[in-house]
Amino acid sequence: MMNNEHYRELGGREFRDHCISLCRSGFTLRLMFATDERENEGCFKIYVVFSETGKDSFQIPFLKLKGDDLSYHGLTPDIPAVHWYEREIHDMFGLTPEGHPDLRRLVFHDSFPGDSYPLRKDWKISEAELREWGEGLVRKEPYHFMEVKGEGVYEIPVGPVHAGIIEPGHFRFSAVGETIFFLEPRLFYTHKGTEKLFEGFGFSEGVRLAERVSGTSSFSHGTAYCMAVERMSGTDIPEKAKAIRTLLLELERLYNHVGDIGNMCAGTGLAVGYAAGALIKEKLMQLNERVSGSRYLRGVNVIGGVTKDIFQYADDILTTLETATGDYKAFMKLLLGAISHVERLENAGQLSREIAMKLGVTGVAARASGVNDDIRKAHPHLLYDRLEFEPHTTTRGDVFARMMVRAEEAECSISMIHALLERNYGRELAAEVKDVSPHACALGYTESPRGSLFYWVKSDAEGRPLRVKLRSPSYCNWPAVPFAVHGNIVPDFPLCNKSFNLSYSGCDM
Amino acid sequence: MIKEILKNITGKKQAIRFPGGSAVSPEDAAKIPALQEGMGKVFRRSLRIRQVDGGSCNACEWECTALTNPVYDVERFGIGFVASPRHADALLVTGPVSRQMELALRKTYLATPEPRLVIALGDCAVDGGIYKGSYAVTDGVANVIPVDCFIPGCPPSPAEIIAGVLRLLEELARRK
Repeated sequence: MMNNEHYRELGGREFRDHCISLCRSGFTLRLMFATDERENEGCFKIYVVFSETGKDSFQIPFLKLKGDDLSYHGLTPDIPAVHWYEREIHDMFGLTPEGHPDLRRLVFHDSFPGDSYPLRKDWKISEAELREWGEGLVRKEPYHFMEVKGEGVYEIPVGPVHAGIIEPGHFRFSAVGETIFFLEPRLFYTHKGTEKLFEGFGFSEGVRLAERVSGTSSFSHGTAYCMAVERMSGTDIPEKAKAIRTLLLELERLYNHVGDIGNMCAGTGLAVGYAAGALIKEKLMQLNERVSGSRYLRGVNVIGGVTKDIFQYADDILTTLETATGDYKAFMKLLLGAISHVERLENAGQLSREIAMKLGVTGVAARASGVNDDIRKAHPHLLYDRLEFEPHTTTRGDVFARMMVRAEEAECSISMIHALLERNYGRELAAEVKDVSPHACALGYTESPRGSLFYWVKSDAEGRPLRVKLRSPSYCNWPAVPFAVHGNIVPDFPLCNKSFNLSYSGCDM
Repeated sequence: MIKEILKNITGKKQAIRFPGGSAVSPEDAAKIPALQEGMGKVFRRSLRIRQVDGGSCNACEWECTALTNPVYDVERFGIGFVASPRHADALLVTGPVSRQMELALRKTYLATPEPRLVIALGDCAVDGGIYKGSYAVTDGVANVIPVDCFIPGCPPSPAEIIAGVLRLLEELARRK
């Protein structure tokens, strides 16, 4: 296995300048995170992961924060894409980015105690504080929403409990008439302390948790997590396991994309389209259950490979896909022929390429705004280097573009599944897992249906998890939603939101 | 389109089967409206559900959404999802109830008119599931509001959810 991670320690100012110069020379920011390594090295560390353009290589500069001075030169003024990461690190570790324009709390809400940093190794919290946090009656660190002032501006608060069957989040619209002038989402209602929980689990038990971070991307999360642990321990997985993972990743993408396109119909009130999309999705989920035992493809991934030989169901997969493809083609024909539907999609929720680039938007949303980025191409893993495909991009950046990118990718997934099933790949399903060496670390990544997904793991002196960082695509894309809905009418918000289809749980961790 | 409509009116109708090995069949589920009718004035003839996400991973949400797809189509059994707790007979709560959702869940519960039922859906809602013991969760719905019925599973399939609701109604009918 080739190591494509290049770590480099840099001091304060140098770290900042290096990150800025990488960003300016076109490297893509992937994630930023901190670790508490005071026990072993007497410092906190801050890592930033960049992808090199056109090359399968990660540049990972890191900074050590020693002693009592827990602040560093913030990167946000120069690299806007890190603004959430720096706020999150501030909440979780108490490390302060100097010069950050908005250091309000991101993860924790008002009733969480101040000066309390859960991801520090010596963190403790009393029962009373936990109870008060849940009751939410004492506002310990009040959060102030941004206010828009002016004639005719009024606020519409929505959530966290919404009208439909969706996850919780609060949206504060500042509207002028029906037009959205400004939207501020307040998320992290579903924060479950996942990263801290990972530290208490062993590496192999962590797979179950990774699969439960975001339901509809269960398999992607499991794969990226396993990949990180396998790379860290130097385990090479058998070719058959690679093929099965690739196949299931594409099946996951397919059911998500078809379901998302169907869901957009709920946003425009096209009931027949919604039903047709839901029916195809249901058939694909029943296929998932038949081949893996779980409608969400859970329980297949283990460290070192997979538990089930999905290829024995090749005939079932092919027949189901054949009917699904037929249904899907008729479904797309129906949607593109429904003028009332298409008119609502066109020009709604526009996200410009410039903003998508600056905010580090990923996945379908990025490709629909003309950013040609797909982890399957940028960092080929599993069997993606053997499959022929091109990332689908368009420059329109509206809801229609996001639908069409999904439609093209769904077709692409179908042909990839066919290509995968045509070949033979040995018999071995899982490799013997090597012991994790102390103080090792590695990245795991894949392209989930929503976009790039990253895990970074590090072991402690006993080879147990010291830190597990997860970065879901929704975390990158949420900050872009307010930009996309600006200038749209309030009734179009659900449609714009559905076109991104972001996971709250994946983002809130 | 007109052809489709005509076909629907004149053609022979066939109920779509639930997938093989399901916890319940459409015939069993068809008992649900009658059970509700038996409850007279309590819920009248249909059970209106308000779904609340208490910090689940969204798999349970998507299974609830699947209940409205043409295969399960729970409206025909007199079960429907409503937009406000004020319209609801029952709350269907998923997730381990994260501490940041606790207050919202309590408020939603209080906004639901009595008599009200609470269904805890999924392993997390039962006892915290895999998230049990995390600092940020309350280890299950029952620690926040009173629960009438538990439907375990990770996530429970749509048929299992229907079976769970059927079980709850049968139990209520017996008690009456």
